[in-house]
Amino acid sequence: MKYDFAVIGAGPAGYVAAKKAAGSGLKTLLVEKSKLGGVCLNEGCVPSKTLLQAAKTYHHAKHGSVFGVEVEGLSFDFPKAHAHKNQVMDKMRNGIAGLMKKHKVDVVEGEATLLPGLAVSINGETHEADNVLLCTGSSPSVPPIPGIDSGHVVDSTGILNRETLPDHLIIVGGGVIGCEFACMYASVGVPVTVLEAMPEICPNLDAEIASTLRNELTKKGVNFMLDTKVESIDEKSVSFANADGSDSVEGDLVLVATGRTPNTKGLGLEELGLDIDPRGGVRVDDRGATNVPGLWAAGDVTGQAWLAHAASRMAEVVVHNLTGRPDRMRYDKMPAVVYTSPEVAVVGLTKDEAEVRGLKVKTGRIPMAINARYLAENPDESGLCKVVLEAETNRLLGVHMVGGACSEMIFGATAMLETELREEEIEEIVFPHPTTSEIMKDVFMAVR
Amino acid sequence: MATPIIMPRQGQSVESCILTEWKVKVGDEVSEGDVLAVIETDKASFDLESTASGTILELFWEADDDVPVLANVAAVGKEGEDANEFRPADSGSSAAESDATPSQDPAPISTVEAQPAAASTAPSESPVPASASSGVSPRARKLASNRGVDAETIVGSGPGGRVIERDVEAFLAGRPRLSVSARSKAMDGLEPPKRGSGLAGMVLAGDMKVPGAIDGARIESVKGIRKVIAERMMQSLQSTAQLTLHSSFELTAAKAYRKQRLADGKPKVSLNDLIAYAIIETLKAHPEMNAHFLGDRIAVFEKVHLGVAVDTPRGLLVPVVRDSSDLSIENLSSAIKKLAGDCREGTISPDDLAGGSFTLTNLGMLGVETFTPVLNAPEIAILGVGGIVLKPKRSESGEVTYADYLPLSLTIDHQAIDGAPAARFLQTLVSHLENNPGEPLSQPNEQHEV
Repeated sequence: MKYDFAVIGAGPAGYVAAKKAAGSGLKTLLVEKSKLGGVCLNEGCVPSKTLLQAAKTYHHAKHGSVFGVEVEGLSFDFPKAHAHKNQVMDKMRNGIAGLMKKHKVDVVEGEATLLPGLAVSINGETHEADNVLLCTGSSPSVPPIPGIDSGHVVDSTGILNRETLPDHLIIVGGGVIGCEFACMYASVGVPVTVLEAMPEICPNLDAEIASTLRNELTKKGVNFMLDTKVESIDEKSVSFANADGSDSVEGDLVLVATGRTPNTKGLGLEELGLDIDPRGGVRVDDRGATNVPGLWAAGDVTGQAWLAHAASRMAEVVVHNLTGRPDRMRYDKMPAVVYTSPEVAVVGLTKDEAEVRGLKVKTGRIPMAINARYLAENPDESGLCKVVLEAETNRLLGVHMVGGACSEMIFGATAMLETELREEEIEEIVFPHPTTSEIMKDVFMAVR
Repeated sequence: MATPIIMPRQGQSVESCILTEWKVKVGDEVSEGDVLAVIETDKASFDLESTASGTILELFWEADDDVPVLANVAAVGKEGEDANEFRPADSGSSAAESDATPSQDPAPISTVEAQPAAASTAPSESPVPASASSGVSPRARKLASNRGVDAETIVGSGPGGRVIERDVEAFLAGRPRLSVSARSKAMDGLEPPKRGSGLAGMVLAGDMKVPGAIDGARIESVKGIRKVIAERMMQSLQSTAQLTLHSSFELTAAKAYRKQRLADGKPKVSLNDLIAYAIIETLKAHPEMNAHFLGDRIAVFEKVHLGVAVDTPRGLLVPVVRDSSDLSIENLSSAIKKLAGDCREGTISPDDLAGGSFTLTNLGMLGVETFTPVLNAPEIAILGVGGIVLKPKRSESGEVTYADYLPLSLTIDHQAIDGAPAARFLQTLVSHLENNPGEPLSQPNEQHEV
């Protein structure tokens, strides 16, 4: 069969690209070796957020006394939470399948191999395509730690399938994934130890936002060990070294969350002469084009952003460019969220990043507790909102928040950044009262 | 009583100066000696200092105007004083234009309007601007100003070509959407591209470019010294028949000479000074090389007026050591040092940048081995000096040893001089530098029968 557009991988890049391309009239093929929805729907965003909500609900019930809510006989049925998670995933997968059918996308299950001259071979059948989008995602990285293949060591995919709570969870890596699982398990009463090699968790965040998150998770019972390098894992414990010397911590479940690696193997990419960067990502320009004519890439396979919404946007950019609408990625306006309790939501430049780019900046910072709605709902939590502005023009450069459910309002900051609003314009935007979002208006009063 | 500030005469040969940048604005308080503006002749740039104290009443010229020397450039006096009597007849200032436009409406004056220099380059659908007399309606002006458009550059469809609101709307419809930050850049005279890099092609601040911008490049206008260099270089290459001869001289004697001077406690002279001196001495034996080619006649100069190329932050300058053939090597050395210093500091008089008869240019210190200098027309020869190279040489006994050599490149105008006499000049020069550098030329060249 000859297609206008073949998409390899049905994650948040692949199915969005297939839907949009088919909707624009391109004859489209979508190939998936496993389940529709990719890592996001099956092993990442969606299942983890479902379980995080279960943990959060339990936590609220347990700590409701400040609101006058006292619960007796409280328990946490983890298998039931998993059942809810599986139901959500099924519904979402069916939704994608329906969407593909509606847009007349040919969905084929199987492992794809790319052939020179741009053809896709699946299950022994070859399909030619004018353009191919590679969005095969990523897999958890496996760091070279002795004992990492032990039975009680899991990655983020493995831990999402475990329906029993451990006695003590050890997490190797204090990045976004490590923090989310630490929050989930600590919220339901499991002691958690996080071992992080860097001096602070989530090193890409503004340092104060990261330390605020760390303090909040510590309050939930997470023990963070920073500047700590894991040396080996055995049946009962994880050995590590830090400034205090070598020691070990006991635990019956070890989660390794040290990052992800782009999936580029077994696809025939070597024969195509595809340009792959030293970190293993497929190199693309800001339209998503690779060095091979007609071959495009989007999502984690490019090694950029590592975010489902970034993957969807990259896919959209590719299809726009294929269908005659000039478009390009703007990574510096890509929001990012850590779905812990409290949540972290950021978009744009931190003060340090802006200064590295040679921009003169001014900043504003306020605690979220000055906001009535936030204080009412989060009496025992320390939230924070920070903004970075270009000093000369008052143009907004970045918004950084930790506190409550701030992920739900970061899009507002993204819209401000995308339209390059200045302090003057933002001051005139009306924010509904009482909402936590007002914090994004009030923070400008603290700009200096 | 208001006092006019005049454009000073920068040397006898200068008729006008470019006013590159105003450092003050109307209403500023200034004292005598304060810098009012930066001005530039075709050869160098200078500060224009105030010759009076008080309030700036009028600035009669715009940045980039070519102002005749001795013309009034500004007026200083007490606030509120009328300085119109000092306005030069041919100045192109905004004040003069608005006087000629009595129909000026009372709408708020936009930033762009106050900057005619930017206005003339602001984006326009049509290269034909509305004439000043037809005017712009207040509503049109307000809309244009709010959207960062210069109403004066839009073709009007109202009575007598007057720009009305509809015209501004039509103009805006054909333009991409600008973010507010981009719009504030439009007020500064920057232009949006057809499509921006933001949401659905929205033009972002970073997309705004100076008129005539090229993607991935910074645009600078060619003016002042750069413009003069550009014109002279093209004129040189187009009006002369350039031929370059390459040679080199062994440095051993020159090094020994400089060492001996140090030992004798005499002032230091540079290698470049030695070559300059050698050129002057050699020209005494080859006067035909010390000349200008003027098309139908050749001017052979009695004395050598040696030009020395100097790299300055403003560009290439060639100060001239007048009557350099009258100078001792010590005086030549200090004259070159002084002129080069004046060039780098921008205090060189334009008179010192003209009247050369032969030019020396040296790129050796920048690691260049050899190059082909471009003639400083109408001079008929220029000598380029490269960097030291180690070369083998055979002694009289046939033994091969190594010595330091300095490459020389002589470009001549073949219209005025042939290759062989130029080669003989080079031969004498090399022989002088290898045998008696720093000394008067010992003997005339005797190898004329080739």
